[in-house]
Amino acid sequence: MSIFSRLTSLFSPMGYPISEVLAYVVESAMLAIVASVSLAVVIYLFRKYMARVQLRIGPNRVGKFGLLQVMADGLKLAGKESIFPRKRDDLPYRIAPLMILVGLVMAFAVIPYGSLFWIGTLTVSDTSVSVLLLFAIIAIMPIGEVLAGISSKNKYALLGAMRAIAKDVSFEIPMMISVLAIVMMASARTASSLSINSIVLTELVPYGILQPLGIFVFMISMVARASYTPFDMGESDSELVTGYSTEYSGLRFGMFYMGLFGSILLGSFVISLFYLGGFNGPMQSSLGFVWLVIKAMIMVFMAFTLWLSMPRIRIDKFVNLGWKYLLPIAMINLVLSGTLTLLMGW
Amino acid sequence: MNNFVELNFGPQHPSTHGVLRLRAKLDGEIVRELEPIIGYLHRNAEKLCELTFYADNLIFFDRMDYVASMLMESGYLEAAEKILNIPPPERVLWIRVIMNELSRIASHLVWAGAFGLDLGMLTPFFYCFAQRDYILDVFTEVCGSRQETNYMSVGGVYQDLTPEMIEHIDAFLQSFPKKLEEIYRLFVKNDIFISRNKGIGVLSKETAIDYGVTGPMLRASGVNYDVRKANPYLVYDKVDFDVPISQKGDNLARFLVRFEEMRQSVRIIKQAITKIPDGPFFNPKAKKSMMIRLRGDGEYYARTESPKGEFGVYIVGDGGVKPYRVRVRSPSFKNLSVLPVLAKDQMISDLISISGTIDLVFGEVDR
Repeated sequence: MSIFSRLTSLFSPMGYPISEVLAYVVESAMLAIVASVSLAVVIYLFRKYMARVQLRIGPNRVGKFGLLQVMADGLKLAGKESIFPRKRDDLPYRIAPLMILVGLVMAFAVIPYGSLFWIGTLTVSDTSVSVLLLFAIIAIMPIGEVLAGISSKNKYALLGAMRAIAKDVSFEIPMMISVLAIVMMASARTASSLSINSIVLTELVPYGILQPLGIFVFMISMVARASYTPFDMGESDSELVTGYSTEYSGLRFGMFYMGLFGSILLGSFVISLFYLGGFNGPMQSSLGFVWLVIKAMIMVFMAFTLWLSMPRIRIDKFVNLGWKYLLPIAMINLVLSGTLTLLMGW
Repeated sequence: MNNFVELNFGPQHPSTHGVLRLRAKLDGEIVRELEPIIGYLHRNAEKLCELTFYADNLIFFDRMDYVASMLMESGYLEAAEKILNIPPPERVLWIRVIMNELSRIASHLVWAGAFGLDLGMLTPFFYCFAQRDYILDVFTEVCGSRQETNYMSVGGVYQDLTPEMIEHIDAFLQSFPKKLEEIYRLFVKNDIFISRNKGIGVLSKETAIDYGVTGPMLRASGVNYDVRKANPYLVYDKVDFDVPISQKGDNLARFLVRFEEMRQSVRIIKQAITKIPDGPFFNPKAKKSMMIRLRGDGEYYARTESPKGEFGVYIVGDGGVKPYRVRVRSPSFKNLSVLPVLAKDQMISDLISISGTIDLVFGEVDR
């Protein structure tokens, strides 16, 4: 029983249309709250982990073990004045950070989370085309970056936006092709092969084992999507100040910051669902969500380690990597998985 | 051909190592013209030296290359002691060699950390600064100050190196080489680091000599010139060390030369702490009460090897208690002048990494 149906039955005394609308509103609010709390947790973990890696202690002043530091930082950012550049393009400048944040929260709505004890399935919205929907939503976020860079009317931001465009076109196609290979393999096993839920439920072994090339391409794409080092050419703080978000301050800057960590979390969830078996594991009906979170957290810490140990790659080298290596590898992966599906019926 | 975007880097920019301002003309991502603009940290140190007693001028030199202040002091004293005719005793020369080399390691560590930040590597910065802090602990022990040390004085040093201090230096030398290799591996075992630096910013031998480039930059371009060998001062002719040279002249060569220099510095200090003779730690002619009465006559140009290159101090004395003229040849300034040549037709990312390998310290460029 999903949360949505529980909410509908809770509000059922109010009559049909109202109960459903209320259920949607309450569930969206819950999603937004849970998403921001989990982002705060990820940011806290990152800061503690980074401090450990760098021989430091990390936040330890606000709250026990600095647990409330992220909240304090958020409050500080919210209380700060937003400074607007005078020559900005007003509407795109204002909606750009929102696009990143809204795209992020929407993406969390369409991925399946498995079930947890008596609560049942935690999935917010389980559509039969969730693969398409997920990648359509993920594709919104780069537009926010580009809008931010161009509407700021700042040379650093413009350069950052140019790099973001070059980066996005070079990783998104290999990423989609490697997802295509999964959908193709899943179509041999399930009728609704565009639903992430049924892809995960019907898999024989995790697709990461069957498609090592695919997981390689997909993980690199997810690093580039979240744009942290080594692929943070768009922001590259030592070259372009902060790239496309240079002219943002206060809460709008906080939205970019949340977008970065949210993308890491989202990418980790998506990799675990597609390639690591997602919520599959022992006692799946009650512990599915726990398995998913464990797998996602392993991916999150892999991302942190990569971030902290790598220098930034140059943008032309990344475009090279995307078109000359990732794309052919993704193609080979597609052909290999097609052959496997035909021959073995996996 | 006037469609270039003019971009202004700095003076407040995350990777300008202080207050460097670069005016770049960009063709897309490619730098077509570059003009460094300096002077944001100008403090008139050379003129101030003319208004101050010989012995007190050290504080201005401390604040020139503030990450290697011991070397600045010893560079000034090379000239000042000749003008004042107060040769320091033998033990002081050895103490100065030890402090100079510790300071050189500290300076190169700061450079390595900051260079990592330029390339987007956050972590090595902390590893480098953690090691540097052990050196600063030694400085605190000998003179009570971490950065602007003011340890050396005319004809001697502020206080003697006690056996405990030497023990602490020795303990640092025992642990440091291992940590240095760890930091070194963090950089060179990384393919992205190599691809960002190999063949980038190639400085040819001729250009380097034409522009007066010195120090590790010159040696990375294949010129075997180190003042410590070419014109030994202090007791550098009594210690055994190699001068690392590379023929490549690119970013990576400069990186490797600086790391090898740190290893050689460790070697020098190891010899110095065993060879250091007993004796007084100041020349009796330069007692503290006598300091303001020291009179200098004549002129002298002293050159020493600072971590950035050849650090020259030219002093003219007119028989008074204050110098008539002090002129500093600062290596960072000369090395900076070659940046427009190196960065021409390179990408912005490479401009940042090239300016990182020059090792700029603005206290010294602007003085």
